[in-house]
Amino acid sequence: MWQPKMTTPILTKRIPTPPFGDFADRRTISYDEYAKTGGYESLRKALTMPPAEVVSIVKDAQLRGRGGAGFPTGLKWTFLPAPTGPQTERLARGEQRYLAINADESEPGTFKDRLLMDFDPHMMLEGIAICCYACQLDRAFIYIRGEYHHQAAVVENAIKEAYDNGVFGSKGLLKGTDTANADFGNGPFAVECHLHRGAGAYICGEETALLESLEGKRGWPRNKPPFPAIKGLFGKPTIINNVETLAHLPSLIEHGVDWFKALGTESSAGTKLMGVSGHVNRPGVFECDLGIPLRTLVESKDYSQGMRNGKKFKGAIAGGISTGVLSADQFDAPMDFDIGRAYNVLGLGTACPTIFDEDTDMVLVARNIARFFKHESCGQCTPCREGSGWLYQLLCRIEDGDARTKDLDLTLEIATSMGAMPGTTICGLADGNNWAIRTIINKYRDEFEARVRPTYVPVTMSVGAAAR
Amino acid sequence: MPWISKDSANTTIERRDEPYLTEAMIKTARETYLPRYETKQAATLPVLHMIQHTYGWIPHQAIEEVAEFLELTPGTVLDTASFYEEFWLKQKGKHTIAVCRSIACEVCDHAALTNRCREKLNIEIGETTDDGVFTLIELECLGACGGAPAALIDETLHETVTPEQLNALIDGARKNKAH
Ligand SMILES: Cc1cc2nc3c(=O)[nH]c(=O)nc-3n(C[C@H](O)[C@H](O)[C@H](O)COP(=O)(O)O)c2cc1C
Ligand code: SF4
Ligand code: FES
Repeated sequence: MWQPKMTTPILTKRIPTPPFGDFADRRTISYDEYAKTGGYESLRKALTMPPAEVVSIVKDAQLRGRGGAGFPTGLKWTFLPAPTGPQTERLARGEQRYLAINADESEPGTFKDRLLMDFDPHMMLEGIAICCYACQLDRAFIYIRGEYHHQAAVVENAIKEAYDNGVFGSKGLLKGTDTANADFGNGPFAVECHLHRGAGAYICGEETALLESLEGKRGWPRNKPPFPAIKGLFGKPTIINNVETLAHLPSLIEHGVDWFKALGTESSAGTKLMGVSGHVNRPGVFECDLGIPLRTLVESKDYSQGMRNGKKFKGAIAGGISTGVLSADQFDAPMDFDIGRAYNVLGLGTACPTIFDEDTDMVLVARNIARFFKHESCGQCTPCREGSGWLYQLLCRIEDGDARTKDLDLTLEIATSMGAMPGTTICGLADGNNWAIRTIINKYRDEFEARVRPTYVPVTMSVGAAAR
Repeated sequence: MPWISKDSANTTIERRDEPYLTEAMIKTARETYLPRYETKQAATLPVLHMIQHTYGWIPHQAIEEVAEFLELTPGTVLDTASFYEEFWLKQKGKHTIAVCRSIACEVCDHAALTNRCREKLNIEIGETTDDGVFTLIELECLGACGGAPAALIDETLHETVTPEQLNALIDGARKNKAH
């Protein structure tokens, strides 16, 4: 039996979440309440250390990005060039350094960052302040998806509170309190923080598309290299991190590396927000140790309380549609960063599984996903733009019962090749499309075959003189 | 499919004397948005959001005004505006009903919501009622998958919506026509 290692809620410390609390008691935490319950103490603590020490804590803890790719956060931070001098002098020379917070959250099935922004925005803001201090970044932009109207208002208000209480701005980073200026010989340091609203484009969650969008352009991903840490927003060094990744920083700084690594599994340290949707009795966002078996997440009374209407589990999207599906025999898969290799999915993704019961039509699921990617492909790369359209058309044909075996083969061929060869597409959207469709067809091949008719192969026979 | 976005070049631009980009908006942009960014162009999204929020769409004349204000060509602003689904370059109804059609919502019967709207309002997806009050659309994932099926009515999200609730919400919205 799998046992949780976390004994108290961490990211959900102030956001009532089963098994520690009740969804119904959730409400937005103000600055005062956040500060009264230990908030911004970690920032104070971080400010007593040299910035490089904060970076090494994050590196040693092996905190991995919570936005989908699972890239080690501390390592990403070390790609930044060293600051060229004290902040005031740097800024005067136009050598800004930026943080972009990825709050675009548009991957179908994913609704976890929203939880933090809805109810405990200051945890994210404290994380932002810590990150900016550690990496010596001057300005932070929270890029929030356009449809999050309510969350935008909550975060905007929280930013204002943070300015008023000495976190951001020239009178910020808790100046005038017991904390020293924390300049370590670099002169005064201040961080600006703003909200930037997207406007309904999934692709803007891709980190370089996000930067383009911040610059006021269409959200077209950039070719890499150069990587954003070297040349990012406005051509300046930029770090891009997910909301949840940054929200981990306050507790990590408070409790330290060993505490963090004792949670989760060896390769996947810490806890993770997991948003369960689909055919379960209690959908919602839970906080769990990385490595929790999907079955436990779905069936445990502490989490999703089993399948809706007593139906059987048929499969699940692992963590956002790009990751592909886990089939019924993979129900025990541990939700950690190794899930990709072990269970033939793209990866853990956002760790927000969508659960399907026995009545779900997997052809419909594939068609729905293909439509999403066709709709959201930005159109720059031919394999993605054309491939996504063809996949959708083929899957519609299969769903309607008009397809033949060769259509199914073609579908699989496109799904296997588009975006698979590195360098043929600019960003990972094509690869996500590929994984999603390919794993569904491979893991539920029977269902697809039952929907297509055999290809008619004309057989001709020559007799007599014509045969020679 | 944002790359198929342009009307033909001979579309006439309807004009009015009163600017869409008001003095108040220019003030907000100058004081709040422009100081945040290194380039003026970066204020494009926030400024377009103000226009979209105020008028419910972004007329071509407004694109020209924004371009002039940000020292860009109208083509550059249109290039950006046409990429994003939330910016409407054609007029839509006073209220927008957007039903989520992505995976969690589709397997939790989003079709019941869309169908109820289609019948009640007698319009298809993408259409606006004759009186110009409602536009019905389907969007991709609204980030509310735990509350599937979800629908966004104007700027308010509704989760685990039943067709009956949606019916009531539409009636409610109709009553407060004034936006
Ligand atoms: C097509 C595409 C969409 C993405 N959407 C998101 C998103 O909505 N939110 C997010 O945090 N990361 C998203 N990512 C991942 C980001 O590119 C990036 O890896 C991440 O924000 C880095 O943050 P992290 O290291 O803290 O996870 C997306 C990636 C791709 C290829
Ligand atoms: S892979 Fe697709 S979404 Fe990504 S840049 Fe190319 S066309 Fe755009
Ligand atoms: S799938 Fe409908 S809100 Fe996410």
